[in-house]
Amino acid sequence: MSREFDDERLPLSRTRPVADDVRRELEFHLDQRIAELMERGMTRERATAEARASFGDAAAVEAECRAIERRRRASVRRADRLGTLWQDLVVGFRVLRKNPGFTLTAIVTLALGTGAVAAMFSIVNGVLLRPLPYPEPDRLVAIEERHENGSGSVTWANFLDLEARARSFSAMTSYGAWTATVIGTAQPLRVRTGAISAGFFRVFPVRPALGRLPVPEEHRLGASPVAVVSHEFWRDHLGSPGSLENVRVKGSWDVQVVGVLPPGFDFPDHTQLWWPIELMEQSLSRTSHNWETVGRLRAGIAPEAAGRELDQILASLGPQYEPNFDATGAVVTGLQTAQTGPMQQPLLILLAAAGVFLLAACSNLASGILARGTARLGELTVRSALGATRTRLARQLLTESALLALSGAAAGLLLAGLLLRVLTPLAPADVRMDRVGIDGWVAAFAVGLAGLATLLFGLFPALRLSSASTVTALREAAVGMASGRRMRIWNLLVAAEVALAVALLSGSVLLIKSFGRVMETDLGFEPEGAVALAVDLPSVNYPGRSPRISAFHLAALERIAVLPGVLAAGFVNRPPLQGNGPTGAMVVEGKPFDPSGRFTGYAIYRVIGGDYFRAMGMRVLKGRGFGPGDDISAPKVAVVDQAFAEREWPGQDPLGKRVKPAGMDSNSEDEREPWFTVVGVVPSVRSSGMTDQVRPTYYFDHRQRPPYRSASVTYAVRTSSAPGESFAALRRVIREVDPEVPVVLQTMPQLVSRTVADRRFTMLVLGTFGALALLLAIVGIYGVVSYAVAQRTREIGVRRALGATPGRVRTLVLRSTLAAVVPGLVLGALLTLVSSRALGAFLYGVSPFDPPTLAIAVGALGAAALVAGLVPAWRAVRVDPLIAMRSE
Amino acid sequence: MTDKQLRLLKGTFDVLILKTLSWGPAHGYAISRWLRECSGDELIIEEGALYPALRRLEERDWIEAEWKLSDSGREARVYRLTRAGHRALEREVTAWRRYITVFTRVLEARPGAARS
Repeated sequence: MSREFDDERLPLSRTRPVADDVRRELEFHLDQRIAELMERGMTRERATAEARASFGDAAAVEAECRAIERRRRASVRRADRLGTLWQDLVVGFRVLRKNPGFTLTAIVTLALGTGAVAAMFSIVNGVLLRPLPYPEPDRLVAIEERHENGSGSVTWANFLDLEARARSFSAMTSYGAWTATVIGTAQPLRVRTGAISAGFFRVFPVRPALGRLPVPEEHRLGASPVAVVSHEFWRDHLGSPGSLENVRVKGSWDVQVVGVLPPGFDFPDHTQLWWPIELMEQSLSRTSHNWETVGRLRAGIAPEAAGRELDQILASLGPQYEPNFDATGAVVTGLQTAQTGPMQQPLLILLAAAGVFLLAACSNLASGILARGTARLGELTVRSALGATRTRLARQLLTESALLALSGAAAGLLLAGLLLRVLTPLAPADVRMDRVGIDGWVAAFAVGLAGLATLLFGLFPALRLSSASTVTALREAAVGMASGRRMRIWNLLVAAEVALAVALLSGSVLLIKSFGRVMETDLGFEPEGAVALAVDLPSVNYPGRSPRISAFHLAALERIAVLPGVLAAGFVNRPPLQGNGPTGAMVVEGKPFDPSGRFTGYAIYRVIGGDYFRAMGMRVLKGRGFGPGDDISAPKVAVVDQAFAEREWPGQDPLGKRVKPAGMDSNSEDEREPWFTVVGVVPSVRSSGMTDQVRPTYYFDHRQRPPYRSASVTYAVRTSSAPGESFAALRRVIREVDPEVPVVLQTMPQLVSRTVADRRFTMLVLGTFGALALLLAIVGIYGVVSYAVAQRTREIGVRRALGATPGRVRTLVLRSTLAAVVPGLVLGALLTLVSSRALGAFLYGVSPFDPPTLAIAVGALGAAALVAGLVPAWRAVRVDPLIAMRSE
Repeated sequence: MTDKQLRLLKGTFDVLILKTLSWGPAHGYAISRWLRECSGDELIIEEGALYPALRRLEERDWIEAEWKLSDSGREARVYRLTRAGHRALEREVTAWRRYITVFTRVLEARPGAARS
């Protein structure tokens, strides 16, 4: 019955249940008819029979009437509900417009929360969740060999065996990707190229947009070189020819273009040109790890099962090649995971941080809305007295919250778009921001968040308000009393907000500290004041063994040296922090060349030219660097780094010792390599990253090594002027030496800072969350405390009138602030202990349980809370007792 | 019921109900009695058919209903024409009048007359 009451109407016009309504009407008809017939003299029995007969099928009529009536009532209810919703919306808008301060704060708070989460979700979605854009992407896996100390690329020889024998894969390919030079275009270009083995386009099935893919016969050493290019390359640099006949690309090679891939094909990342890796002579050494490997699993095969099969194959190969064999097994990982690997965890952590931030924003809003709701208690109570039911009022409040939430979500989406634009240039390279966008999913996510937020902060005050009994509520509204229970809820909300802010803040402080430690790392060289200029000599003009390579460098060095402001210039085949690059076994004179133990004797192999050490700011610690005299005809000399000297000759003088780079520049035995005498020791630099351990390195002068070793190098140029100023001159010099050599210029500090892009990204994003959470907490605490003070104006007036000193009143207010904040701080400290554990992997030089950090976060929030509470406390004291007591 | 009685044409029933109600609010039984009396027993209407028709008109918002005490002292569901119902009645009556005029003219026409 009660369902039939209409909310808005007084209980006078009650509606009958449908069945009753219909039955009574029909009964009335029959009774009237019978009465009429009896009046004409019929007996009751005849009259009844006659009435029924002329009525027709009463049961059918009744059923039909009921059906119609039900339908009608349902549609009336729907219309009613829509009407109420509209009314709620109109009232909601009016209420929000009347309080622009509150509304704006709420929307901004919510926009920050949802914007942060939506932006982070967009990134996570684009980078981690969205499947790779290839057919059946879940069957694509990355394959690595496991070694004693970790895992890495599969050797070419092992790859051939695995490809031939593994049954778990429908296809497998080995590939290498690097930036190469293309000449003959408007400008010499640097493009990403992929050298791919024959199985590549079976792993990544693709139909060329034009032409064809390389055929198996072209995947052979000595075959006529062919390549396929990306759609963009074909369009932008080849001029979109309709026929590929006679389309060649020259530069690092001279290849015939046979096909154009469809737009969007992008593996390995950013590749523009693919050519058969088999065109290069491959080392058949089972310890020479050069290329990446990916495979396509057969349907229904799990990566783990495939891994076990590869383990078995490798185990069966081992005995044949021992000791020249170092694989202990295989690691098979989903390709997407493998590609995003290092960024996966930080991104998820940042998403979680954004979620925590949203929670803090929500509790902030909840306390705000609760305060506002209390201020409106009078209005609501009157409406309730006039017959509005609790559900009706709760719905009104919910509608208002939903309005806020939706406007917040809309603003949040805008903000997310903005955030993504800001983050894109900051993101590390392996976060493919070009695949990230605000799409339908993310929009749905934001709206979902808004819905959740509505429930979170709308329902709570709604329940609280609508459960207040009318009488109590009226009295409270009249007296303006902040009830103890309500204060407790507020305290809870403030405590929650403070706790979340402490956790976010200490997380950011930890990351900032780590970043600071990383940047303090002794690099072993001095990036400040130097420029990095990368050149890649196109091998069509500079064949691998050609003396032209040295000639180019000597000419370039000579011209750079005389540029105004240049202090020193040199080059290296791979600058520090840019990856290990060529690495190989080496032989130390006087120590047995024990092939089984040679993996501990690995060293990083650097070929340098000019005054490289001085240009890099690397102090020669002992002996000397290379000089003009160390040319091809002079005795062979080497420089080693500290780590090398300490490992090979601990406690001895390394100068005068002799080494040779075994098998580095020839596939044959090392006997033919001459001995190199160590003439100097330089500080160690890190090769693969600032937090990476130092690896022993040896240096050779380019004139004493095969020319191809210095075909692709980075010049370091130290100048006395601002680094950027020399860019134009350096570009001009290289153009003068050879206009067909492309140049990539950056300052050395830029080159260094790119290597910490992921750290900086994580730190900046989390730091922003932390700072915003602190700000929100201040706003939240300030709002609640000033509201509580306003509510207690009368009480304060009474106290003042009874002789309470201003100091006592201030203490009173501050004490109530601390009552909420202190538990929050304690909770936050506990939360930090748990949450910073998740950060462990990204910390450097600082422990997740870092007491100073915790002190900073707790102190910052405590201080913020005090300030936020002090202002209202000050105001409370200034209240005139007389006015206060009169205030209603 | 004899062959002399007229079967009601589809769609006309609603008009008759609306017409009846245009004289003032009435309950179902009163409507059925009026219909019977006005038509002089010449229309075949199963009395029961009236009620679904009334509910349908109510659903279309052409009439509205309210339970009220009747003359006999019992509660009866009393129907009243709404504003929309008034308009609908006018429309329908005009349409029917035109229909009947045209129909009659056709029935009474002689060959060739139409062309003149």
